[in-house]
Amino acid sequence: MVDVFNVVEAIALVPLVSFLLVLALGNRMPKKGALSGIAATGFSLAISLLVVLDLATGGEVYHEELFTFVAGDGAGVELSFGLLVDPLAALMLTIVSLISFLVHIFSLGYMNDEGEIGLRRYYASLSLFTFSMLAFVYSDNLLMAFMFFELVGLCSFLLIGFWFREAGPPSAAKKAFLVTRFGDYFFLVGVVAVFATFGTTAFAGDHSFIVEATHVLEPDATGEMNTFLGLGEQAWITVVGLLVLGGVMGKSAQFPLHTWLPDAMEGPTPVSALIHAATMVAAGVYLVMRMYGFYALSPTALGVIALVGGFTAFFAATMALVKQELKQVLAYSTVSQYGYMMLALGGGGYVGAVFHLTTHAIFKALLFLGAGAVIIAMHHNENMWDMGGLKSRMPVTYWTFLFGSLALAGIFPFAGFWSKDEVLFETLQHALSGEPLLLVGYAFGLLAVVMTAFYTFRMVYLTFHGEPRTDTAASPEPIGWSMKFPLVVLGALSVVGGVLNMGVLKDFIGSENLFLKKWLEGKTISGELGPLSAEEYHHILESDFAAGYEVTELSPLGPGALALVLGLVGLGAAVALYRAPEPTPHMTKLGRIRTLLMNNYYLDEFQVWLATGVTAPLARAANKFDQSGIDGVVNGAGSVSMFTGERFRRIQTGIVTNYAALLSLGLVLLLLVFGFLGGWF
Amino acid sequence: MIIEALLAFTLASSMLVFGVPDRYAGKLATGLSAVPLLGSLWMWSEFSSDGNALLADDTVAFGNTVDWFRFTFDTYEWTLQWNVGVDGVSLPLLVLATVLTTLALVSSWTPIDGRQSQFYGLMLLMETALIGVFTTLDFLLWFVFWEAVLIPMYFLIAIWGGPRRKYAAIKFLLYTNLASLVMFVGMFALIFGLGDAISTLGFAEIAQALRGGELSGFAGMEPDTLRLFAFVLLFLGFAVKVPVVPFHTWLPDAHVQAPTPVSVMLAGVLLKMGTYALLRFNFTMLPDVARANAELIAAIGVFSVIYGALLALAQRDLKRIVAYSSISSMGYVILGLVAFSPHGMGGATFQMVSHGLISGLMFMAVGVIYNATHTRMVGDMSGLADRMPYAVGILLVGAFGYMGLPLMSGFAAEVLIFIGAFESTVIGGAPLFTAAAMFGIVIVAGYLLWAMQRTLFGEFAVETDYEIGRAPLHDIAPMFVLIALIIALGVQPDIIYETIQNAVNPLNDPLALVVDLGGELR
Repeated sequence: MVDVFNVVEAIALVPLVSFLLVLALGNRMPKKGALSGIAATGFSLAISLLVVLDLATGGEVYHEELFTFVAGDGAGVELSFGLLVDPLAALMLTIVSLISFLVHIFSLGYMNDEGEIGLRRYYASLSLFTFSMLAFVYSDNLLMAFMFFELVGLCSFLLIGFWFREAGPPSAAKKAFLVTRFGDYFFLVGVVAVFATFGTTAFAGDHSFIVEATHVLEPDATGEMNTFLGLGEQAWITVVGLLVLGGVMGKSAQFPLHTWLPDAMEGPTPVSALIHAATMVAAGVYLVMRMYGFYALSPTALGVIALVGGFTAFFAATMALVKQELKQVLAYSTVSQYGYMMLALGGGGYVGAVFHLTTHAIFKALLFLGAGAVIIAMHHNENMWDMGGLKSRMPVTYWTFLFGSLALAGIFPFAGFWSKDEVLFETLQHALSGEPLLLVGYAFGLLAVVMTAFYTFRMVYLTFHGEPRTDTAASPEPIGWSMKFPLVVLGALSVVGGVLNMGVLKDFIGSENLFLKKWLEGKTISGELGPLSAEEYHHILESDFAAGYEVTELSPLGPGALALVLGLVGLGAAVALYRAPEPTPHMTKLGRIRTLLMNNYYLDEFQVWLATGVTAPLARAANKFDQSGIDGVVNGAGSVSMFTGERFRRIQTGIVTNYAALLSLGLVLLLLVFGFLGGWF
Repeated sequence: MIIEALLAFTLASSMLVFGVPDRYAGKLATGLSAVPLLGSLWMWSEFSSDGNALLADDTVAFGNTVDWFRFTFDTYEWTLQWNVGVDGVSLPLLVLATVLTTLALVSSWTPIDGRQSQFYGLMLLMETALIGVFTTLDFLLWFVFWEAVLIPMYFLIAIWGGPRRKYAAIKFLLYTNLASLVMFVGMFALIFGLGDAISTLGFAEIAQALRGGELSGFAGMEPDTLRLFAFVLLFLGFAVKVPVVPFHTWLPDAHVQAPTPVSVMLAGVLLKMGTYALLRFNFTMLPDVARANAELIAAIGVFSVIYGALLALAQRDLKRIVAYSSISSMGYVILGLVAFSPHGMGGATFQMVSHGLISGLMFMAVGVIYNATHTRMVGDMSGLADRMPYAVGILLVGAFGYMGLPLMSGFAAEVLIFIGAFESTVIGGAPLFTAAAMFGIVIVAGYLLWAMQRTLFGEFAVETDYEIGRAPLHDIAPMFVLIALIIALGVQPDIIYETIQNAVNPLNDPLALVVDLGGELR
């Protein structure tokens, strides 16, 4: 058998080829480039699965330098591109290529069959996105990760603004790029700081920045690093970690940089499923996982991550409670769910975070694609109050959407139940050993469980149950196989995905059957590549020189049952309130609280004010100062010269003897000056 | 002799083009400009020198030195030489100049519709002077070319410019000429101060004498005072050209009035004369003064970045936006140069080339839109993407290049400068300066995205009577060449960066300052 690692870079490069092909020839290609995209992502998926298989059957973690970006010439640091495929990366590659593959197929129905124009642009952007995202996932250093992180942002901009002839999408695209750019500013400062501190940004290898940082902090410090601004080593590591976290919060839509994500729903719905739910938004969280060995060194950074995550999970869920548009509910739900992953990472729950990332990618992509099917059926009306009764009219969509919703609400035995439980349990385990920040995060997480189940089933009941509230809902447009197929695949995965890691039942099934945990712990290579496995991360987390977390042993059953009960309470409340054939809009009873929530706590307004109320006047003031102040002086100098020139013109008599006299006079003066200066006299 | 051949050929081409009828001038000039272009590319392919031409004698490639005449002052006697040659700093800029000239000539075909033979003749005359600036290594000789660039530029703005072209051209000429005078005084103060420590006005000889501490006093100034005095005059002189805030106000006026191809040359090559000269004079000949005042110079750079970006944010004219953002980009160059670290100096030089390409692309793209709509005002048009998909696509590429999108040359340049500046041991508090300058990448995204959203997207509407159609191929083709170059340098910066680094790395070594210059070196 050919070694699959010989072709592993093709996982990203084949979509790049597809991008170039579609860009050049798209209009002449079958389905305007859709088939090229499907073939490319199908190929990526196949290779990713082979990689997973290879790693599972004893293959080693794969690390290779691809090419040198800037050699540095021995004097400066070297910048390079490389591949790092470990269990985490392999899992993520599979997720990304799977969702991308399914979204391409779904787009056949959503875009092609609807007669959209600009499909070449659409499929070219999708392929470019897939390339960038996959390359980001297998980056072996922070700089390369940053570069593809930014490219992913470009694709997001292009795809959100796909319908550029309308007013909303270009504005949303701009906002998405700007808000994430603001986060990426901190990220880039972090990247530069890592270079300056450690001389390398490699994630793996015996001199990776993670290894060096660990060696510096270890009791018998053997590592080397520079620190800046007079900070100590631990403090500087925290600063660097928090800087990189800026990019994470931008891309993964964490408070207060989450505001772009709900606006991003202006893009086509398959794009929302792929980019703004399952993959790109995961990039931030994935980055924390990728350099988890580094974050595990700083208890402060972990605390911040947990608190931001927990708060975001709660905060976003409150806004999802009142939204009327299907995709808006899902958007805030996405923000909230990524909050859970951050909570887990901050709380030392590496496995839980990876697990939730995986299941969330599946069930959230499913929910968005389901929403897409509904939107097509409803002729692009997204308001849930105009729907109702779609259950019997679109059964495939209903049942798959229901499975996705049960997973999102965390109901046994759907995928989300297991992963959300793992997130909360691992956080609790570390919180109980005296980490108050984690306990706060955990409490936020629990509150969010109730709300998640509530808004999810409010959405399900308003959309699918009861009587149709409009004519469109009474006779929706039928959807084709290309849309049903992805729904069915993802629906099935949402049901069984939990099998990966049934942590709650570990006392019964034995921890050797926690497949994901084993997968992430499997490749412990002490020394050569540095810490990359869950086991090593936990070791660092529990070291006193690092985070110093302790684990409180307790049975997962109790916390699991608590989370499930809370979920059922939320679900039950939603069913009770919205079960009626003609449900009443209960949320209006919240009055001014509802207004606040509908307006997203006025955070968008605040950010717009920062741009137009603070920066723009500052720019105008600078411009005014520039034109009347600085340029005024310049022009003033000009006027003075004009005036004197006017006077001096009178000596231009046109008489040669006058000129000769002036010339001689000037020469004498010059000679005198030089004479004095040169010391002739 | 290749340099002499290129200079002579380009000058002769210019004269020839002045003489031909208008309708042939454009094509003929473009064809003739292929010779210096291919010549400089040939030089590039043959180039294999290491090191900095000013610091070691055997580092000059394609060099040629001929004694010209002697002149004396007091007891000193100097030989003026014809002294040309290139190294890893000047060659990339030479190639940039020839590439951009040819592309700018092609992009002139549409907008220039009167007195073509004069226009193209002046463009070639300017190319001649630019080749001279980047290849001469004797101060007086260099100064002749430096000044000679201004003359065609003046006429190009004053004749083919917009409504306020006279004002803009005069302002440009007076401002930069005055700056040249200041710089000239500074340089001659140094030359007089060196006295018979030098026998020619060759850059290398002056640089080595200055770095060797052979400066004696002049006009009552102690050597240390003289160094500072000369440094300030030189810096002021070049700061106008770069331009550095607050000496920048000629730039937006010149750009807005200049026709597109002239703007391309102005932003793409002429600004680089300033940063090139800063590198050659201030940072090579008087590094001790630069190091001693590193924080001040870095602050000037950072201020240019942020202030230029804020000004760009306040503009409504697309061309003004691009013009102001040049000020911002050049601020990064200043920061990189003063870092005196491998990636700082190297990144700054790389940024000169990269910005030349990207700003050229932006001006061309804005020009193509202007050719069609006859307006450049944000707010007077919207939804252009609907009618001009290629031009708009190219403008998008240029804008994202300006924003420093990875895998385009701007990102490589900026990230190298940031790394170099951050780890600089010369600038005190370097991380803070760097972080402040880096905020420019957020503002640049802000104003470019804002302008694009308003003009390119939304419902199609234009406040003119002109018919908006697709641009002709010869307008689009030069931009594709630029995009290809920008992406090639963005994916593989080492195509030129290795060469640049070979030439600038010796400048970073404080030990290369041979003698104790009084005051501590950092």
